[in-house]
Amino acid sequence: MERFAELLIAAVLLAGLYATMAYGLGLIYGVLRIVNLNHGGMIMAGAYAGWYLHAALGLDPYLSLVLVAGAAYLVGIATYRVLVRRLPRGPAGGVQSLLLLFGVWLILRNAAYLLFTGNDQTLRTSYSTLAVGIGSALVSVNRIAVFGVAIVILIVLHLLLTRTYVGKAIRAVAQNPDSCTLVGIPVERIYALTFGLGTALAAAAGLLGSTLFPFNPGFGAAELLKSFVVVVLGGLGSVAGTAIAALILAVVEVFAILVIPAYLTAAVGFVLLVLVLVFRPGGLFGQRVLG
Amino acid sequence: MRTQNLVAALCALSLSACKQPTTTDQNQWPALIGTAMAAAPSGTEVLIGATLPLTGAESRIGGFFKEGYELAFEEANKNGGISVGGKKMQVRLTLLDDTSSQATAASLADRLINSDKVQFMLGTYATNLIEAQSVVAEQNAIPYVNGGGAATAIYKRGYKWVFGLLAPVELLAESIMKWVDAEQQAGKLPKPATIALLWENTSHGKDFRKGVSDFATKTKNYKVVMDESFELNGKDFSALLGQVKAAKADLFLADAHLPDYITMQRQFVTAGLCNKVQSYGARGSEKQAAEALGKKNVEYVISAVWWSPLLADKNPEAKKFLDLFKAKYAGKVPEWYQALAFETVRALFTAIEQAGSTDRKAVREKLAALKMPSLLPGGEVTFPAEHGQQTHAPFVVQQNLPDGSAPIIAPPDSATAKGIAPNPGCAK
Repeated sequence: MERFAELLIAAVLLAGLYATMAYGLGLIYGVLRIVNLNHGGMIMAGAYAGWYLHAALGLDPYLSLVLVAGAAYLVGIATYRVLVRRLPRGPAGGVQSLLLLFGVWLILRNAAYLLFTGNDQTLRTSYSTLAVGIGSALVSVNRIAVFGVAIVILIVLHLLLTRTYVGKAIRAVAQNPDSCTLVGIPVERIYALTFGLGTALAAAAGLLGSTLFPFNPGFGAAELLKSFVVVVLGGLGSVAGTAIAALILAVVEVFAILVIPAYLTAAVGFVLLVLVLVFRPGGLFGQRVLG
Repeated sequence: MRTQNLVAALCALSLSACKQPTTTDQNQWPALIGTAMAAAPSGTEVLIGATLPLTGAESRIGGFFKEGYELAFEEANKNGGISVGGKKMQVRLTLLDDTSSQATAASLADRLINSDKVQFMLGTYATNLIEAQSVVAEQNAIPYVNGGGAATAIYKRGYKWVFGLLAPVELLAESIMKWVDAEQQAGKLPKPATIALLWENTSHGKDFRKGVSDFATKTKNYKVVMDESFELNGKDFSALLGQVKAAKADLFLADAHLPDYITMQRQFVTAGLCNKVQSYGARGSEKQAAEALGKKNVEYVISAVWWSPLLADKNPEAKKFLDLFKAKYAGKVPEWYQALAFETVRALFTAIEQAGSTDRKAVREKLAALKMPSLLPGGEVTFPAEHGQQTHAPFVVQQNLPDGSAPIIAPPDSATAKGIAPNPGCAK
């Protein structure tokens, strides 16, 4: 029973990390119908930004979260206005957007190699190895904080999308951009805002990840794959679905260790992905249009 | 519009490809390091080719190897070159950046041998790159000496032209176990002792596992109560460490690369775990890990490495290298990477001198029969045929102490301090 409780806590905390990684990818796909391959690049950039602010200015990573997310938001807006806006909408732009955003990711990654070399970096704070007791288990304060941020993001995103004019406009654009133009919603501005928001969430996820494990310019690739799994499981375009899918994936991965070798647990998520695509192609919670 | 988009995407891809570590396109623009474009050997110099991962995931260690290679070439040329058949010949290195990519390492080796006409090859760093590159050397029948590949898989293929200076990881595990065994015989550790064995799912990890398991089976004083592997670059080891906790093992023996060591040890400490002996194989004594985890969190961790600057106290070759290195690199203290790179070059030069010619076959034969006084633990380099021409020099076992030092605690002839077991931190 004690072992079960420990595994459950580990799974819930891991779900927080997965959810923060996937929110941005899901949001951009839900509204713009673009698979943002640069999501991995921004996760890496967020990690380096947090690390740099901590190393150079001594800024706590959780305090710099808003700063990094804000800067990434502007980067996202700029990326949209300079590059993504020029892509054809709909299926015609699919391959082009993949190529373009993959290219942006490669540029970011190689810029990081030039600036920071390929060395692994670690963000260490005074509470990096601090733990609190939950039942019989000692749980990392950092992992609890990441989980807390994931919950906050979920609530804020939900409120933004359901209770504000901008959020309603985002959902309307996701449903039918042409009709939105007719009723005076500035579709291009909503697209830019959404792309910026998604990019900010990716950078925030990277920063949070950097408090937990070492990273280098290659960071973000595995996280992007994991985000895909979460977003597809949850149903593309569903914020709450993303959070629940992150929990399902984490529970399956963590508890898999009881029946299969540890090195295979990472593959469990991909098996789950294939099963969902075969039996429920719309995701476990069906296709939603944000909400 | 479509054309504009495509052009933008292609520009992005081509720009980034200049440094992208996994593309093979770089073969078109390989980086020539510290040398002019290679020409065919002139007869007054010996032309040697090498690649190193100077960019990409392994760039930090690639840089260390470059330092060792450059020092060895500089030293040889300072004295007029190496003596080949009574004649002094300068040695010239054509060094290319393989970008930490297997495909690039292999194709650049092909270019060095068949276009640049190098006479001998020095190896790159990292097992996976050497596995790919050594195939090209073997196919072209060119002596290939490396100090960056330890996995026995490289040397079990029956290759004739591949020589390795890194002793196998099995031996690394055995070195740690021998020290543990001595502590057990001294009554400091329980008999039998239980082991939680964790290993990364690579040839490196498999060799480590074999080394520990074989020793445990042979001596019968140990019981492996947990035997699990894990994927590289893991993000969460809490489930695995939960098993370690449940196993209540006396010894925690893991084999991990640096990032996994840092992540796992951070979670290990956070979870309040403590074992009488703790090791991450070759990891543990790095300054980078102590900085990432905090000195206190790596106390008493045992590690085994191929070389340590502390050997300079007992080994004249090691002292000579240490002095040369410090003189060239402004007092910087080398790690085992630079030492192995330096010694790799020296082994090749010695074989060429002993052969008295640059004939590949003659040099290969001298390498196969080489017995060279060395800076490595044990003081000698050989390439025994029974081990696939992989040297079997012993490892030095180190232990992190609370004062931040990591003295050599084994083998006894190299030890600079006595090891501490069981871990006093567990009593707190």
